[in-house]
Amino acid sequence: MSLVVDSITKRFGEVVALDDASFTVEPGRIFGLLGANGAGKTTSMRIVLDILRADSGRVTWQGTENIALPRRTWGYLPEERGLYPRMKVGDQLRFFAALYGVPDADARTEIGDWLERFRIPEYLDRKVEELSKGNQQKIQFIAAILHDPDVLIMDEPFTGLDPVNVRLLKEAFLEMKGRGKTLIFSTHQMEQVEELCESIAIVDQGRVIVSGAVRDVKRAMGRQVVRLATDADGNGADWLASVPGVQITSRREDYVELHVPADRDPSSILRAAIDRGERVTRFEIADPSLEEIFVEHVGRRAIDEEEEHLASTAREVAR
Amino acid sequence: MSGLFPNALHVAKREYLFRVRARTFLITTVLLAVAVAAITVLPSALGALGVSDPPEIAVSVDADDLTTDPVVAVQAILIAAADPGSVVDGEAPSVPESERARVVRTDDPEAAAADVRAEELDGLLTITRGASGDLAFEYLSDASPTNQTRILVTQAANALAISDRLERAGISAGESADLFAPPDFTATAADPNDSRGEEDFGGAILLTYVVVILTFMAILTYGNWVAQSVAEEKSGRVMELLITAATPRQLLTGKVLGTGAAGLTQYLAMIAALVIGLAANGPISNALGVSGQLPFTLPELQPAWILAFTAFFLMGFILYSTLYAGAGSMVSRIEDVQQAVGPLMYLAMAGYFVSFIAMNIPDAGWVSVASLIPFFSPYLMPARILLSSVAPWEVVLALLLLAIGVVLAMWLASRVYSAGVLLYGQRVSIRSVLRATRVSR
Repeated sequence: MSLVVDSITKRFGEVVALDDASFTVEPGRIFGLLGANGAGKTTSMRIVLDILRADSGRVTWQGTENIALPRRTWGYLPEERGLYPRMKVGDQLRFFAALYGVPDADARTEIGDWLERFRIPEYLDRKVEELSKGNQQKIQFIAAILHDPDVLIMDEPFTGLDPVNVRLLKEAFLEMKGRGKTLIFSTHQMEQVEELCESIAIVDQGRVIVSGAVRDVKRAMGRQVVRLATDADGNGADWLASVPGVQITSRREDYVELHVPADRDPSSILRAAIDRGERVTRFEIADPSLEEIFVEHVGRRAIDEEEEHLASTAREVAR
Repeated sequence: MSGLFPNALHVAKREYLFRVRARTFLITTVLLAVAVAAITVLPSALGALGVSDPPEIAVSVDADDLTTDPVVAVQAILIAAADPGSVVDGEAPSVPESERARVVRTDDPEAAAADVRAEELDGLLTITRGASGDLAFEYLSDASPTNQTRILVTQAANALAISDRLERAGISAGESADLFAPPDFTATAADPNDSRGEEDFGGAILLTYVVVILTFMAILTYGNWVAQSVAEEKSGRVMELLITAATPRQLLTGKVLGTGAAGLTQYLAMIAALVIGLAANGPISNALGVSGQLPFTLPELQPAWILAFTAFFLMGFILYSTLYAGAGSMVSRIEDVQQAVGPLMYLAMAGYFVSFIAMNIPDAGWVSVASLIPFFSPYLMPARILLSSVAPWEVVLALLLLAIGVVLAMWLASRVYSAGVLLYGQRVSIRSVLRATRVSR
């Protein structure tokens, strides 16, 4: 029984934040929510969590509408991180666990385990404001999962983390998945989605443009990506442009990337190259990357905005 | 909808511990307690330091036909003013000899005037027989027109002049005493349950001041804490986490209870300091060799009234601070809190000032009506109970209306709160929040 977001519409005054948005998340999977700033990711998460109410549409989890579900069904990592700065890590986590009805003894054990897992057990009695941003984010993650929620909803969980902490967080994701939990997260970083997510939804201006299993989304693009390298020099690839249906998308230093329609067999290109007497050093058939799919659906503009946003976030973190 | 507890208690506990453990809380509480204790022992201490030095006056008489001794007359008025009991009971003054006003006759007005200028003496009263045959008085001192001694000397001069005129009109001193004897006058309370004695009234007014001021301070100070704390949670973004874990009603209730408990802790510290100060006042003044008698007696309160005062205080605080929490949830930055709580502050101040007006006319019809209105009853009803006679049903009705007010405030505040906590960056406007409440849960 899955999490079903069914035809959600939400307006803030004149602004339509979500416009008839629908997607389904299979239980026990990791689900990626992709979209530019202001696309409606945070709003849809808040509606699933029932801290906002939709104007129309409904959300169900395992057949029960979300407004009837207990709060401890959900774990939430908001995009804007926030903890009590002058409260000690341990006290703070126990406070949130208590709000979710977790017995104090259980909370203490879990907190110890997770601090250990994140390699920061010495911070138990430190005030949150004394911790680095990355470590605060780990505490925030622990606060979201202490009550053992069925569904973990995370808004931009990787933003502002260094590579080591990104890896620790990914491991934590897989740990939760291993416990049979359902994970939903939004992100700007496509590599995390490629690596972790089994299914995705791309949201743009309040509408769900495409959703489903990553494999199906890629197949639905109706083309394959071919990467070809030969020992001829750079201009030697010009002949490829004359092959019907083939489109050169980029020329790199050591290979050429082509789009091939799904109904054509990519191996015909390899055959053609060999027939031309060229020595093929690389031939690769792949699905289009999520980044390509995202750009194609949302447009180059959104990607540029993302990069600008990421750069400013990175500057903020560095400060 | 989940119940209020135990989450409200978790929130209250966190809020209370956070407040009480803060260094500023400790410092303010200690300072307040010290200030209260100081005020209670201050009169004795000042007495010992000679600040309340009894007045010393010289009288120069240049009219030898006076039958009343002006020295005795002036001294009697000064001593009676310092100890009203001695006149009512006709007993000897309880003020010790050393603290009584001293009035001496002088035959050397020049020297006495020099003493006044040198501040050796408080004043020199010169009495002469004027050309018209009336007595003329001249009082030499550096006292302001509102100086208590100067006022009393003026009174003494009036009395002396009148008895002198009567004397000259042929009425003897004994006859004029009969003439000015107060009539037999008894004021009887219409309400037989009204047990307040005349001499209690000063104490009752004082107690009213204390109750009204304490209520006002609690609303303003601790209400502000609540608003501030909500705004901090919002601007620190911990709010989004809280609102996912608990309902707005749980969060609001916990916040108000926790802050209220911290405020009560501070009040209890002050009350303890007051009790200790009052208890220590006697021994301290004995040790210093001064009179430690308080200038008033506190009225005796029935336990039911004390219970009612407590109920008005607590519910009044909850009513206001719940709304303060709602106001705090409307702003994104802590700097904007003052603006958001403005209307509530004016409301609290209106009740405060109205109760001061009402203290002078506690029996007025509009005071009875206003004392039933939830925003005003926490001030006005205790004032009426102390200063006037109130039917029990009025108190019960006021408490009932206040309780309804609390429930409505809780409902309104949690609507505003659940919408307000997710609104960032907008200008504070009731309209935008009310619009948001329609679409939120």
